[in-house]
Amino acid sequence: MDIITSLAIVGFAALIHASFQLSVSVLTLMSGHAIGSKKSHARLMRLTTSYTTGAGVMTLLLLSFTSLMLLHWFGTEVPLVVWALVCGLVFGIGIAVWLFYYRRNAKGTELWIPRSFAKFLTDRSKKTQQGAEAFSLGLTSVISELIFIIPTVAIAALVLISLSPEWQLVGIALYTIISLLGLLIVWSLIGSGRSLARIQKWRTENKRFLQFSSGGALIVLGCFVYVSKIMATVLGVQ
Amino acid sequence: MHEGGPITHVVKNSHHRHPEPFDREKLHKSIVAACLASGAPMGHAENMARRVVDGVVGWIESRPEVTSNDIRRVASQQLRTYHPDASFLYEHHRSTL
Repeated sequence: MDIITSLAIVGFAALIHASFQLSVSVLTLMSGHAIGSKKSHARLMRLTTSYTTGAGVMTLLLLSFTSLMLLHWFGTEVPLVVWALVCGLVFGIGIAVWLFYYRRNAKGTELWIPRSFAKFLTDRSKKTQQGAEAFSLGLTSVISELIFIIPTVAIAALVLISLSPEWQLVGIALYTIISLLGLLIVWSLIGSGRSLARIQKWRTENKRFLQFSSGGALIVLGCFVYVSKIMATVLGVQ
Repeated sequence: MHEGGPITHVVKNSHHRHPEPFDREKLHKSIVAACLASGAPMGHAENMARRVVDGVVGWIESRPEVTSNDIRRVASQQLRTYHPDASFLYEHHRSTL
């Protein structure tokens, strides 16, 4: 796989990561509570910036850790069976996202995660007062989203470890920045004083589209990597 | 309801918590918060919240027991007249995550 193709796969995986909504929901909730409790705009921005930074740091650590583990287990030449397993995981989670991403009969943007988990995050977002708390909430939100982002992180890590060290750093930075796009858009909308109700309304009205595109993109990613890596190697094209 | 009249109890949705007397101030605060998050200025938010709370109080007057979901539904119906965006946020607050 050449560098351009590898970075394109990493970028596409990060874009799928960005389309997942849990972190955005927590950011919306936290901002809603901050505005509702009459915090100043500067304080609100401090909280949202800390939260977004926390999510970015955890994404960076998660991808680096996964890459390190894969490198430790398999070296730079990952067996084809591992590629096939990860492609299967990406494909499977893609189908699962189509079927289960949002809770059935939910009026809003309720996600298919354990209710106790959702309650914990909702309560924490309500109680967040300091930048450090917002930062740790950002870290936690990425962990909470793990079930959906495992395939994108795994495939990005598999692609990254076959690159040279300097391109690995570029790839990790690229993944982290692109995966934060959703949060950065909401952060900038909140910063520019856009109504949270409008943001939440847009998310509710377009939730099926987001669900379809996330699931569809995962399936496309799985198929593309399967063809460009496994089939190409087996058929001797690579 | 309070102020001399019979007390209306609010049954909490979680069922783990005991019913509690209707708290006008708590409802007022939550509506102000929804209005502010929807971009309404402070004075306007307070004004709308006062009107909505009056409407809700009128609705629960004859009811000895209501659920917190009932209050949310009635309050968001009342709020829709004054600020549809705030009403949306208020109604869907619990289903954000």
